Amino acid sequence: MTPSPQEFDMSVKIGSLVMRNPVTVASGTFGSGKEYADFVDLGSLGAIVTKGVSAVPWTGNDGRRIIETASGMLNSIGLQNPGVEAFCSHDLTWLRVHAPQATIIVNVSGHTVDDYVEVIDRLESEPDVAAYEINISCPNVDKGGLAFGVSADQSFEVTAACRARTTRPIIMKLTPNVTDIAEIACACEHAGADGVSLINTVLATSLDIERRVFRVERKVAGLSGPAIKPIALRMVYAASQAIGIPVIGMGGIACPDDAIEFMLAGANAVAIGTGNFLDPTLTTQCIERIESYGRAQGFDRASDLTSALKG
Amino acid sequence: MRTAKEGAPQKEAVEVLVNYQIAPGVFRLHLRSPQVAEAIEGGQFVHLRINGGDTLLRRPLSVCQADNGEIHILYAVVGKGTSLLAEKPIGDNSMDVLGPLGREWPIDEGVKAPLLVGGGLGIAPLGKLAHYFRDKSIPVTIIQGGQNAERLLVRDDHKDVERDIRFATDDGSFGYHGLVTELVKEAIAEKEYDRVYICGPEVMQQAVSKITLEAGIETFVSFERRMACGIGACLGCVIPTTEGLKRVCADGPVFNATEVMWDDAVTSRV
Repeated sequence: MTPSPQEFDMSVKIGSLVMRNPVTVASGTFGSGKEYADFVDLGSLGAIVTKGVSAVPWTGNDGRRIIETASGMLNSIGLQNPGVEAFCSHDLTWLRVHAPQATIIVNVSGHTVDDYVEVIDRLESEPDVAAYEINISCPNVDKGGLAFGVSADQSFEVTAACRARTTRPIIMKLTPNVTDIAEIACACEHAGADGVSLINTVLATSLDIERRVFRVERKVAGLSGPAIKPIALRMVYAASQAIGIPVIGMGGIACPDDAIEFMLAGANAVAIGTGNFLDPTLTTQCIERIESYGRAQGFDRASDLTSALKG
Repeated sequence: MRTAKEGAPQKEAVEVLVNYQIAPGVFRLHLRSPQVAEAIEGGQFVHLRINGGDTLLRRPLSVCQADNGEIHILYAVVGKGTSLLAEKPIGDNSMDVLGPLGREWPIDEGVKAPLLVGGGLGIAPLGKLAHYFRDKSIPVTIIQGGQNAERLLVRDDHKDVERDIRFATDDGSFGYHGLVTELVKEAIAEKEYDRVYICGPEVMQQAVSKITLEAGIETFVSFERRMACGIGACLGCVIPTTEGLKRVCADGPVFNATEVMWDDAVTSRV
């Protein structure tokens, strides 16, 4: 099919945040962008979602951190990061100099509600931050993280506390390890979130039968990769049906057509996670594919895909 | 299209030129990869995407030689990915690499008397380094260890580099009967070395570097860890150092032996 000569609008909106296209990255898989600068034009992405940033430095988990599984991988990184001060002085400074066009969403991590607030308060004075993604879904830390995201009440509480500190868009990162994703997504919406992103990794583990031990020190880890894509699609669909705010869909996108699938499931934007490890240029390929697919299907804008599912 | 900076890592499709077993469970792989071959330095690695089956992640593989548009790799078949790799026929063009990745062996001009110590597959990352010193007409001593004679991998590769090659095997089937540590002690007693490069099992690296550091010789080691991204983003391959956790893929794989927290590093590996 010949591409239409008209302009195709790739931009999408998450609250007041305008992304130049619907393709971003999953926190923790892309560093703060610098690591991918040899492979991707960082300014061409819809946004960069940084690794999780906490109020103070976190050393992450001991023992093995990466385990490959069938069509997937387990990680037990534990949100290792140098803390918000070092993030501002190193990562944000690097991005300002080397990728001034990049749209930066900072992923915020915490053990307590006050931790999240502290990180946001520090970042409010940084002009290059476009939005916050609040991680209430990491399975690899003992306190906070996942504990917030499995409870609608606590998801509401964290969202509301963050909302009170900033007018920048807030995106709540949700866990799939819940009975009813719609309930959690609604709680975030009611507390003032501008969007939700899902799914974080699926709680999982792996055993060494010869040594008769868990392969990960914490006994649980987070499963990602193509193995979880069908789970993620179902949850993105369920969440997008339940709420009126935008959804960033992710979970196992390993090729450009996977990104289309998430858009059709109801996502307003998509994030590439483990797929970056398989091919560091996958984000760029997804951007091109969304445009070519959208044109070929007769749409005028990428955002049309979000409501294009026929049933 | 983005144009790559000189020496910057890139993604390159590769073709299998050679892939055969050189010892039980150990294969020699030659790939056509002109851009990586041109840019890669001794001690760096490539991250190979092996398509097939339900394996997902790339495999980090050190490059022992790079010449004429080809990169040469030694690998052990240890799991699903390397089993698939062992089946790739000559002419296969289903794979691609990211590379060159990681930091190379430091080869500052001042080095006049280098000692290279390799154990098992650890001899591979030392190959290009040995050739570098040959090209500079700097005499090299190589000490190579293995379980037995057939595990002294590619031992003929270094014949043309320098005649001072010493071998140790655990079972005495070739060369010295015992550990490389004994040969290292011998060598540093005979000659004044100004730099040591070690690659092999971590306990061997720890034992050898203890000897050479005590002798006051600057010593570098190379680590191996499971990796996801290979480019410094995922933090899956960190080791403890005196300056905190460092990434084997991006801050290493080559480290100064004095910065490694050896006991923690060796036990953290599961």
